[in-house]
Amino acid sequence: MATATKLIGKPIKRKEDPRLVQGIAHYVDDLTLPGMLHLGIVRSPYAHARVRSVDVSKALAAPGVVAVLTAEDVQGAIAPIPCAAQIPDMKPAPRPVLATNEVRFVGEGVAAVVAADRYALRDAMDLVEVDYEPLPAVVDLEKALRKDSPRVHDGLADNAAYHWALEGGDVKKAFKQADRVVKLRMLNQRLIPVAMEPRAVLAQYDRGDNRLTLWSSSQIPHILRTQIAAMLNFPEYGVYVIVPEVGGGFGSKLNVYPEEALACHLAIKLEKPVKWNEGRRENFLSTIHGRGESCDMELAVKRDGTILGMRARVLADLGAYYQLLTPLIPTLTGLMICGCYRIQNLSVEITGVLTNKMATDAYRGAGRPEATYFVERAMDAVAAELKIDPAELRRKNFPKPKDFPYATATGLIYDTANYQGALELALKKSGYKALRRQQAALRKKGRLLGIGLSSYVEICALGPSSAMPAGGWESATIRIEPTGRVRVLTGSSPHGQGEETSFSQIAADMLGVGLDDVIIVHGDTSAVPYGIGTFGSRTLAVGGTAIYRCCEKLRDKLLKIAGHLMQEDPAKLVLRAKQIVSKRDPKKSISFAETVGAAYTAKTLPPGVEPGLEATHFYEPSNFTFPFGTHVAVVEVDRETGEVKLVKYVAVDDCGNLINPLLVEGQVQGGIVQSIGQAMLEEAVYDDQGQLLTGELMDYAIPRAADVPKLETFHTVTPTPVNPMGVKGVGEAGTIGATPALVNAVVDALAPFGVRHLDMPLKRERVWKAIHQAPSESAGRPRRSK
Amino acid sequence: MKIEGRHTVPAPQETVWQRLNDPSVLERSLPGVERLEPDGPDRYRASIKYKVGAVSGSFSGSVELSEKNPPHSMRLKTSARGVPGFVTGEGKLELVPKGAETEVVYSGELQLGGLLAAIGSRMVESAAKKSIEDFFKSLASS
Amino acid sequence: MIPAAFEYFAPKSLDDALRLVERHGDEAKLLAGGQSLIPLMKLRLSVPRYVVDIGRIRSLRSIREEGGWLVIGALSTHHDVESSEMVRLMAPLLAETASEIGDVQVRNRGTIGGSLSHSDPAADYPAAMLALDAQIVAASSSGTRTIHASEFFLDLMTTQLRPGEILTEVRIPRLPERSGSAYRKLHQPASGFALAGAAVRVSLDEVGKIASAAIGITGVAVRPFRASGAEAMLAGKKPSPKLLADASEKVADGVEPLADIHASAAYRRAAASVYARRALEAALARAEGEKG
Repeated sequence: MATATKLIGKPIKRKEDPRLVQGIAHYVDDLTLPGMLHLGIVRSPYAHARVRSVDVSKALAAPGVVAVLTAEDVQGAIAPIPCAAQIPDMKPAPRPVLATNEVRFVGEGVAAVVAADRYALRDAMDLVEVDYEPLPAVVDLEKALRKDSPRVHDGLADNAAYHWALEGGDVKKAFKQADRVVKLRMLNQRLIPVAMEPRAVLAQYDRGDNRLTLWSSSQIPHILRTQIAAMLNFPEYGVYVIVPEVGGGFGSKLNVYPEEALACHLAIKLEKPVKWNEGRRENFLSTIHGRGESCDMELAVKRDGTILGMRARVLADLGAYYQLLTPLIPTLTGLMICGCYRIQNLSVEITGVLTNKMATDAYRGAGRPEATYFVERAMDAVAAELKIDPAELRRKNFPKPKDFPYATATGLIYDTANYQGALELALKKSGYKALRRQQAALRKKGRLLGIGLSSYVEICALGPSSAMPAGGWESATIRIEPTGRVRVLTGSSPHGQGEETSFSQIAADMLGVGLDDVIIVHGDTSAVPYGIGTFGSRTLAVGGTAIYRCCEKLRDKLLKIAGHLMQEDPAKLVLRAKQIVSKRDPKKSISFAETVGAAYTAKTLPPGVEPGLEATHFYEPSNFTFPFGTHVAVVEVDRETGEVKLVKYVAVDDCGNLINPLLVEGQVQGGIVQSIGQAMLEEAVYDDQGQLLTGELMDYAIPRAADVPKLETFHTVTPTPVNPMGVKGVGEAGTIGATPALVNAVVDALAPFGVRHLDMPLKRERVWKAIHQAPSESAGRPRRSK
Repeated sequence: MKIEGRHTVPAPQETVWQRLNDPSVLERSLPGVERLEPDGPDRYRASIKYKVGAVSGSFSGSVELSEKNPPHSMRLKTSARGVPGFVTGEGKLELVPKGAETEVVYSGELQLGGLLAAIGSRMVESAAKKSIEDFFKSLASS
Repeated sequence: MIPAAFEYFAPKSLDDALRLVERHGDEAKLLAGGQSLIPLMKLRLSVPRYVVDIGRIRSLRSIREEGGWLVIGALSTHHDVESSEMVRLMAPLLAETASEIGDVQVRNRGTIGGSLSHSDPAADYPAAMLALDAQIVAASSSGTRTIHASEFFLDLMTTQLRPGEILTEVRIPRLPERSGSAYRKLHQPASGFALAGAAVRVSLDEVGKIASAAIGITGVAVRPFRASGAEAMLAGKKPSPKLLADASEKVADGVEPLADIHASAAYRRAAASVYARRALEAALARAEGEKG
């Protein structure tokens, strides 16, 4: 890097935290406007039903009620929820903001009630009378695809939303040459994102200025602005989206939702501010879910463990309607299905399946955790079948560092990696060999220790615009203000990740100022240039690079001005510690403040240099980045109850250069914990009528601090050539790398019972059944009871 | 969810059959039913007040008898809808004479919707079983 | 999450409270700690017309010894119980059980009287009440009556308490000499309630045989129960791993276990056995450690 590094690479505490921990930060629900009304959505208790009638008369007559809308009232006024993903021959399944004459999932809105306060609103919502005629619900994926299945949408030939296929190399030949074909059927279950802050919306309309302001808890303020303008046919220049503090998203706020459009529509119609905030139960029902993919995988293998080819057939549970990216997510599974292995012959078929459930969409990892899980489970099945150590099997099939950039059979170019390096470090840090010895010794005593590995590669820094549905660049505008303070406006939309800190580190180093001289502004579409937002582990690698490039422009301008003032060649100047210093003669310098002042007073500017100190950069990445790593999980299974105890966890991640190791640590740890949730606890359970049975946190278990042992995290550093800082992204690594390690560990623990695979979540009863229904135990002492 | 069981009513088959077809007996015996009004042949509208411990609520619903094969078997369908969601139960009742007594064998499906499914399933299933018990006890004493 | 409208009373004395519940009968709900009632009301699964908040009746929040009995006032919080020296001394099982309830916030608000009156089939206290042969005291405007724990829990969230009655205190008899106790529980991972919980008290005689054992099981069936078959197997026997295993196998005999998305009936039954055995092992170790 061109400037002396002072802050980049340091574990600096988050600038965001003082306001957050003091409770003085502002979330949408903290905002109150004069005359504000409250919006509530009456939701369907049926997964599939015809709406015969909606009687709003009693609700309208209730005290405090201002308006009640049904689908009829918004027909033509609000377009359906946009879907940015287009897959060839995809069947249409647009989500109306209120159900028209059919409801297609439990939780779909049928009426919108507006009242003067939340109490009156809640009472009135119970008075909306909806006459439903229940219809058969489509729940199970396999059944959904049968010819005789009811249809989620009338008139569709079947419930397959699309078929997406990809083939590389010569799959037939690979399978013909195989010594063995290892098959595994796996489920990557449906999950609920459970952001700590549910969604919230506040809309305000000013008729004088024809100005519509929308506060929303979102990851994508600008895309939301554009889509709201389009949905309401309102001029985009009149729409102001403001995203204040956001309490987490995990992808669930990378979307456009009915309530955002309805609140805006109502604010315009009633000329009063309208607020909606989501309860946890509503959040479970009508904010996107994640995952929900099943996979039949076949690996063609040589006796020595060489993987010759892969076939994968994936069914993806899309839900009843498309949200912003619903159909796209499973295709990411397809692109990453070969993982970090040299599998040049493969075919993937993905069928998107419509069901009477809430839509699935991007949830932390979005398609990649599924791919990684499928291939990593299958690799362990191969290792078990061929009796090869799982570490050795992986080693054998990695591409070597010299093979990069590495072209996959799925058409991606992996930027750079040393997969074996990460694996060896993980083995060493976990004491892998000793663990295997310990496992053998404990098995003799009847104790079930399991060791699970997962080597992963993910696709991050989303992404080059050519591969993204709505552009994959990011923007930055930086203003050095006359007093020398630096205002960084970013199109990224951090919502808990801590980029106000890492972005400040970049700008401060690049411009030779202190951390506190920099303020990061994001989320206000009237203040910051158009941006894409925060998702897909892109914020640092794409948004951060935009800032880096922008700083370069400003630095060059500062040096030009300073050179002019100092009578020195700008190329011979360097910016550091609020000084511009001559490289030839360090005693020759001019202060940063004086140079900034000169830019604004504009009396002695070099010819051709504009006054002021502001620059904008729209950064378009040339490729994705492909972080990687190996995780090792060690578990002990209680053979009497099936309880799984996580004993040890070692993660080695390579996300390139680290701007702020503390933030990286937070991302890795949080991701692993979310993986513990998926592997052990979480599942959105629908019954056969499409009722969500895990409808609250009383029944949907997420991991708690007590479930998590000390997570030991390490890094290898392989900088990416894709961007100048060599950073790759780390926001999703934990949820991608950890889940298969955990499941592999439990299946490994159960090996004495001949268990080959168990589907997630590895609830105690599932593990217990696997032990107690095992036909025989090939090792260990007889069971204690029965 | 599946609901099945058997219950012995200390009355002859014919008497049990008559009781099952008598709306006033049904009104008395169906737990929580406050009022039962005819709504077509073998069909009744019901208003229901339910209370188990701290859980309580008002529902409106229906009771429907069908596929009658006197005095041997029938289908019974009940449904209740209210603010917290809905419950429907549908199943077959078979009356098997056991000397002076009658064994009623029932098997069917219980479906919960809305909040009741999402939050109350553990409780509601148990409550439903208890209601069925109560129904037969009450039927026995009618 | 806003309850339906209700009328709220906050009486300052037990007499005032009793008058209110007598007047409003079935339409009144008592608010003791609110850890079950308030969520139910917010979900509108509970829609009482009157809420009588007894939280201000100070006299109901006490822990004391009375004629050899440990007496715990109904408004004692779970935290009060788990942290009370007197409880730890006289009924350590109760302190241990209290420490397993919910989380810190729940333990700071929830009360023993509230929990027992609500009688969730997966609540923790009932198992200990049964194992300790506790007596539950209910007051009404016509006086007080004492209900033995074994007769208190009737059915799903249904107890002996009648409309118009208020549970005022719980009385725990003194433990026999050379007694040990333990509570072991398989947590439902989301809610923390018991999927199977076993509260055990064992007492040894002078030669180290089991003089008597009491096993209370919660979470398994619609109501908590005493595993009397298992208790009978243990009584008079010299403890051995086989005896404990055999007796534990029997704890859920004759009951119809609950089933839900968290655990099937078969798993609840199996978990009850395992946790009962573990509780027995711990209780025996403690009894053997007692000098008596």
